Order: sequence, then C-alpha cells, then structure tokens
Amino acid sequence: MDKHRIRFLPLDITYLAQDGENLLDFAMDVGVHINASCGGNGTCKRCKVRLVEGRVDFCQDQALSVSGHGEDIVLACQTRIKGDAVFEIPLESQIDRSALKSRKSPNILSAPDSLASLGGISPDPVAYKINITLEPPGIDNNMADSERLIRVLKNSHNMGDVKINLNILKRLPSLLRNSGWDVTLTIAETDMGLEITDVQVGNTPKKQYALAIDIGTTTVCGQIIDLWDCSKTGSRVIGESADYNAQISYGDDVITRIMHTRKKGGLKRLQEAVVKTINLIIDELTDKAGIERSFISHMVCAGNTTMTHLLLGVEPRYIMISPYTPAFVFPPVIKGGDIGIKGLDNTPLYLFPCVSSYVGGDIVAGVISSGMAKEGDISLFIDIGTNGEIVLGNKDWLMCASCSAGPAFEGGGISHGMRAAKGAIEQVRINKKTYEPMILTIGHSKPLGICGSGLIDSIAEMLSAGIITENGRFNRELPTDRVREGKDGYEYVLCYGKETQTGRDICLTEIDIDNIMRAKAAMFAGCKVLLDSAGLYFNELKRVIIAGGFGHFLDPSKAQIIGLLPELPLERFVFIGNSSLMGASLFALSREYASEAERVARMMTNIELTNNNRFMEEFMAAMFLPHTDLRLFSKTLGVR
Amino acid sequence: MGFEIPKIRYTGKIKKVTLGYGERQVKIGGEGCYPFYTFEGDMPNPPRVAFEVWDCEPDDWQEWAIEPFRDVLHDPVLWAKKCIDVYGAELIALNLKSADPNGMNRDVEDVVEVVKKVAGAIDCPLIVWGTSNDDKDAVLLRRVAEVCEGKNIALGPLSEKNYKQIGAMAIGYSQVVMASTPIDVNLAKQLNILLGNLGVQDEKILIDPTSGSLGYGLEYTYSVMERDRMAALTQEDTKLQYPIICNVAQEVWKTKETRLTEQEEPRLGNEVRRSILMESVTAMSLLIAGADIVIMRHPEGVRLIKEMIGELTAE
Ligand code: FES
Repeated sequence: MDKHRIRFLPLDITYLAQDGENLLDFAMDVGVHINASCGGNGTCKRCKVRLVEGRVDFCQDQALSVSGHGEDIVLACQTRIKGDAVFEIPLESQIDRSALKSRKSPNILSAPDSLASLGGISPDPVAYKINITLEPPGIDNNMADSERLIRVLKNSHNMGDVKINLNILKRLPSLLRNSGWDVTLTIAETDMGLEITDVQVGNTPKKQYALAIDIGTTTVCGQIIDLWDCSKTGSRVIGESADYNAQISYGDDVITRIMHTRKKGGLKRLQEAVVKTINLIIDELTDKAGIERSFISHMVCAGNTTMTHLLLGVEPRYIMISPYTPAFVFPPVIKGGDIGIKGLDNTPLYLFPCVSSYVGGDIVAGVISSGMAKEGDISLFIDIGTNGEIVLGNKDWLMCASCSAGPAFEGGGISHGMRAAKGAIEQVRINKKTYEPMILTIGHSKPLGICGSGLIDSIAEMLSAGIITENGRFNRELPTDRVREGKDGYEYVLCYGKETQTGRDICLTEIDIDNIMRAKAAMFAGCKVLLDSAGLYFNELKRVIIAGGFGHFLDPSKAQIIGLLPELPLERFVFIGNSSLMGASLFALSREYASEAERVARMMTNIELTNNNRFMEEFMAAMFLPHTDLRLFSKTLGVR
Repeated sequence: MGFEIPKIRYTGKIKKVTLGYGERQVKIGGEGCYPFYTFEGDMPNPPRVAFEVWDCEPDDWQEWAIEPFRDVLHDPVLWAKKCIDVYGAELIALNLKSADPNGMNRDVEDVVEVVKKVAGAIDCPLIVWGTSNDDKDAVLLRRVAEVCEGKNIALGPLSEKNYKQIGAMAIGYSQVVMASTPIDVNLAKQLNILLGNLGVQDEKILIDPTSGSLGYGLEYTYSVMERDRMAALTQEDTKLQYPIICNVAQEVWKTKETRLTEQEEPRLGNEVRRSILMESVTAMSLLIAGADIVIMRHPEGVRLIKEMIGELTAE
C-alpha cells in the first residue's frame, strides 16, 4: 500500500504514514504532540491543526466539528490521511524540539489482533466429530443400540475402547431411530478415556465449534472458534467477548474471594457468580456468531489457581495459608452441566493445569501461547494482571513466581480506573511546557476511565514533565490548573467533565499513583528475584514477553520510565495481550497444545515470594520512579 | 609464603562535608573504608561529637542530667557557651524543643530569635534540630536557614514531605541539610535522590538514619547503617555516600533505664553511671556502624566517646 509523506510544521519533521491512517493516532505514534482531551471523539475540539497543503479525508461529522473556523483548520482526530500533506500545529499544542530528538524511533507495541490469529494451525482437537451410519437392527441382529454403535467404531474407525455415559444412553434409542441410523458422534478424550459426549442426527462433522475462556480475577474473556472453517474471515476465531467477573462484588482479589468462601454458602455463591458470567459470555458469543450451542463440541478454560478452584467449587482456603497448598493442580475434565453451564450439560470442559497456589493455568496457557518453552534462548514472560506472574526459562527449564501486584493495571483500586474496554484512555502524552494532555481512547469514544496502558503512559509522562517527582508526589507549584487539590489530595486532571461520558472529571490522584507504584514495584521486584535465583542478569534475556489485558498498546520506553520493565533494548520486548485466552484457544484447537500445557505445568519450578525477605527488599527498592538503584535505569534517566 | 590478611576492595568514598565557617569549621566524611578500618583505607576526618543544647529550659530532665548544666539551663546562649568553654565542645546541636506542636508549641518567630542569638554567640559549627513535625519544620527551618545566613549550619530533620520547602531555602542560604528517613536503606537513598534533583549539592547533605537507643531498636539502626556503608563503599552506590549523623541524646535520655533511680530499682545499679553508660554505649555502637557525628548530652559520656575515637584513630 502507498505510504504518504506527512510533514509537521513548525517542527519541520516528516514521517511516513499509511493510507487511511487517522491523523491523531499517527501523531501519537510518531511522538508529535497535539492537544486532545476527548480521546479522539471529535467533541473537545482541541486537536485543531491547520492543513497547509495536501489531501485528506474526513470522518462524517468533520463539517460540524470545524464550523466557525477557517476552512483549512481540521480536527486531527477526525482526519484521515489520504496523500502527502503538510500540517501546522498551533501554538498551544507545540512542544520544544528537544523532546522530539530524544525519541529516535517510535516503538509502541500493539497486541496482536486475536481475531486474525490461529489461522495457520491445522485443527486436531481433543474432541472430534465423526459421522457413522449403522445397520438398523433386524430379527437376526438385535444387538443393543450402544454395542452396535461401539462395534462400528471399532470395526470401521479403529477405536477400541469408547465409553458412553448415562446421559447419552438415555437419548440414544430415539436418536438413532429418528436419524434413520445416520448420526454424528462427538468423541472426546476425557478422564474416562475416549468418551462419546454427543450424538447428533445426520452428517454434521464439519459443524464444530469450541469455546475458549480466560477466567481472570477481574475480567472473564471468551472466544468462539470455528474448528473446520476459516474461510469467512481467514480466522478461526469467529467471536470474542469479555465481561467483569461477577465475583467482583465479593472482593477485588483472590485473597478476599478465598475469605468469602469461609462464609456460609460463600463457595457456592462464588461458583455461581463466575458461571453466571461465563453463561452470559457464551450467550453473547453464540448469538453474535449465530451458532447453536449444540455445535459446540468442547470448552477450554484457563484461570489462576483460585479461579480454577472456585469454578469447580473446590475449597480454596489452604491456598492462602502457609505453606500455600492448593487442593489440586491437575484438574479433572468435567461436563458443562456439572457446574451449571447452560445448554452444554454434556459438553466436556477442559481446564488448564496449574503449577502452585499462585501460579495457575492462566500462566501455563500464556507460556504455551508465547512459545518460550520451545526455544533455546532464555525469555522472561511477564503477565501484568491482578496478580502479576512471571516465568523465566527456555525449552529445558522454567521458573515461575507470583508477586501480588494488585489490580491497579487492570484499573482496580484506581479512582477512574477501568479495564481495557471502549472509552478507556489508553494512550497519553503530556506537553512538557503547557502540561496539556494528548489522549486517545479505545474506539475513539468519549473518555470513561483509564486502563492499564493509559496509566503507564500517564505516570511516565507526568514524571517526564516534572508534574510528579520520583516518589510519586505532585509538584504543587506548576503554572497549570490541571494539578489541583481534590478531595483525595492532589491530582492531575486528564479530562474535564464536559468531555467525558460520565460528566465527571477524570483525574489521577496521589493515591492512584501510589497504587500503581506498588504494583510496578512488585512486578519488578519479582522479576529481579527470579533472575537472581537463576543467576542471570537482565541483559542476558533475549526476549521479554509481556502479557495482560491492560490495553491494546504498550510503549516499553514508557514502562521503563516508571521502572515497570527492565532497561533493555526496545526490540527485545514483545507484547502479546491476553495470552491466557490465546493459550486456551490453542488448547481448544489442537491436542498438541493440550499436551504441551501439561509438559509446561510439570516443568515449572515455583519460587515462593510470599514471606520472602529478598522480595521485600527488592520491593522497597523499587518503590520509586523508576527505581532506587539508579544504575539499573541509567539510560532511561539519561534520556529523560 | 607469608600469610596475607584479606582486604576489602573499596570502590567508593564518603563525600566530605564542611560545617561552620572560619577557623573553627569542622570537616567530616571523606572516609574510603569501613569505620575505623584504617588498616584498609583512609579515614581523613575523625567522627565528631556534638553537644546537645535546648532552646528552652527542660522541665523533665533527670537530676543527674541537669547537674552539669544547672547554672545555664535557663539560657541557651550560656548553655552553649558552657559546652564550648568548659566541656570543650567542637559542635553545638540546638534542639528546638519549644517549637513542638505537641508540646509548648512556641511561635516560629520566637524560636527563630533564640536560634539567631545562639548562632551569633558561638563560633563553632551549629546544628539545628527541628521538631520532626513536617509542617512546623517546613516553616520553622526555612526561617532558620535564612537567619543563619553565612554560618553554614546543618539543619533538619528533612523528611520526604517537607524536603522541598526546606531544601530550597537551604540551597539559597548555603546550609547543610540532614535528610531523615525511618531506618531504611532505600528510603534514605530515595530522599537523597530527591534532594539531588532539587539541586542540593552533594557536599551539603548528611544522612539521619533515625537512631534508636540501646535496648530500644539500636540494632535496627546499626544494621541499616552498616548496609548504607557497604552500599556506599563497596557497591558504588553514590546516593548513599554521605556522612551520617545520629541524635543519640534525645533517644537515650527518655528511656526507662536512664530514669529509674537505684532506690526504685536496685537491680539496675547506680543511676548516674548507668545513664552515662547507656548514652556512651549507644554512641559507641553507632560510631562503629558508621556515624560521622553523634549528638550527646552528658559531658562525661562525651569524654568517654572522645577517648574512644582518639584510641581508634590513633596511628
Ligand atoms: S476533538 Fe479531536 S481529540 Fe477531541
């Protein structure tokens, strides 16, 4: 596709843009500051630039947006690049050139679009469908229905020992006869061995879907996968949906959830809550994709150890009591009906194996989707979630640890925090002279809150602009109204109420900053201790894989400024988004990944950080921006 | 082959800090080895003892603490002079007790007046110790920095909360600051970084690691100071390479062991001797952990400590 030359005045720098790219997104990418406070929604009218020459396209309401201004004034967020062009940035948006020089090449990582992935893997699922035709019984052959079925499987499909459970048996006689002895069986590998989990009338083997579900402490995400047909979109993932885990009303983190199970009926309540969320997600997925539930052959869930216990309704209490023993790490294969999943009573549900109390199936799923356990080079895998987990190693060895980072990066415990959904502020730049922000929201919607990546950006930018000091406190003497005293102490206003969805100002307070510092300090300290235990230095890492649903973008240089990520060349960072969900989808798609999950779970050595003195030490040292040990961030500090 | 005593490889040095002005100015710091390890490195400036003086007449002192100063306790200027003239003080640490919001809560300007008088009356270096109340100190110590212009005093404690206000004035009037953090290596380092970013020169910073008295947490202070020095001298941690000051007097003399008389608790033995030893053993331990200045109250304790420093630094 054609690239267009976009020149910005008066900075006089030129960058190449894709055809059709949004001008504000593009400016954000290349590091050119344009004031923007409605997230690119077209309502704040602050992103005005002058089109000096060239050709552009406008989004629909552009005419509205610029009424009252000269013709050549355009709103950057409503402008699409259609050819070479020159834009002049007005005075109130300008920064000094020095800020630009420091930025050699833009390096914002975006999470892979999961809807486009999985296309290249040939399906070989743990549950598969086959069509068989049976000879109808006669007076000379009145063998029982189920034995008749099994004999066909044995003789023509070479399947020795297939079990039929009671649910299927009950439906079998009428099904066989109604179908005219032509049925499609779903045969799944379960704890019973090979098991017939469904019998359908007629020839339907190519209508097979699977559900992959990531059960996060904060968010539950699901995907529906078409196992045989990826012609429509070139992707097997035909739908995706996410919602808050309904357990949230019983506590923000795993510890409070476990505490809740001690109350009367608590365990059941939590199980029902998460199942309710899963049911809603399945409804949405199947509705949107227009698929009958009966064509779902199996489900795969990945969750942390506590979530896995709660989903199965197993007492999780000893997870939080020293010596931190889970009830199990290799979960049984269950049926949807066992836990109350609607319309999928007899459908097998596979859960990822866990490693320890605080390193669960979500991490095992993440590791298999990252591919790190298949490589010779050493990688560090970091999952930035409610409970930060880290894995270090390669194909021969893996070490893992969990550091209770808290839910800050998922928006938890942050006054205007939210998960990475529509309306979440996900990219932020702050002008170092005027302290005015440039923000982009997910979907360019009116801002609703701030998600993890927006928080990382905001804090890095506030620090670089001198709005906060290295201990996370506000500089109270700046000539800007955006830093002010609120009811929870000092705060910076990212968006004023008139630009937001709720009508309330979106701010970051000192308490928020403190929570994020704690979260990042726990993550970094965990990484440091894990590397120390393996006798490695950060620069020996070939790859740092970052996972987590905190946003669609991650700018590793910003994460380094706040000391969340170690100081390594930017090209060593990879951002893979929600890797737990991706791992679950891979498991659903192919048994190769199912066995890889087991291998990885068995291979991981867990390093316990709870009550670990070294961890506490490192945590304290990391409770600073970027870090108390300046030598670990000498380059970053130099740049700043 | 002869036996060779293993030596520690030092890669860092403590910064030199000068207090006071003119002939009686005092230099501290500069050491390139662990405290008193003169067989391994250099300790160019021996540690010093500062005499504690209050800005008001104490009303709860032990009889045996009052005794050496009975004639001067009512007047901080006379008190400071007696320390210098009679007991040979090289440094005076003026404790602004009367300003404490939880005590007399005297007005800032009244207290500043006293500081001014004392500073004007002595020619040895002055240390001014505030109330440890962040808000009050923020106002009080700023004024102190101002009125002591040219005297190169040390003032503090500065906390993470008020370092900006006080630090800015200290820079303006070229005073030394005492960066105070609650017994933690990292917090100490962080405050030093913040002070550096604010523009405070390296040779204008002292670390107050927060001292505990013997029997009341001394071991925590001790090990934090040890670690400060290890990081500073062997791990090139530049943000910890500052001299350390410990306020021993105010911690020791409030303990039960310095208050009970022999009559009240025969098992503890003579109260005068015991209190002096409490103070000197605390000071001695902190010096061995790396203190460059200890603030003390009793002249006899000071004598013991000076003797010890002399012996340990003798060629
Ligand atoms: S109008 Fe463009 S960002 Fe608000």
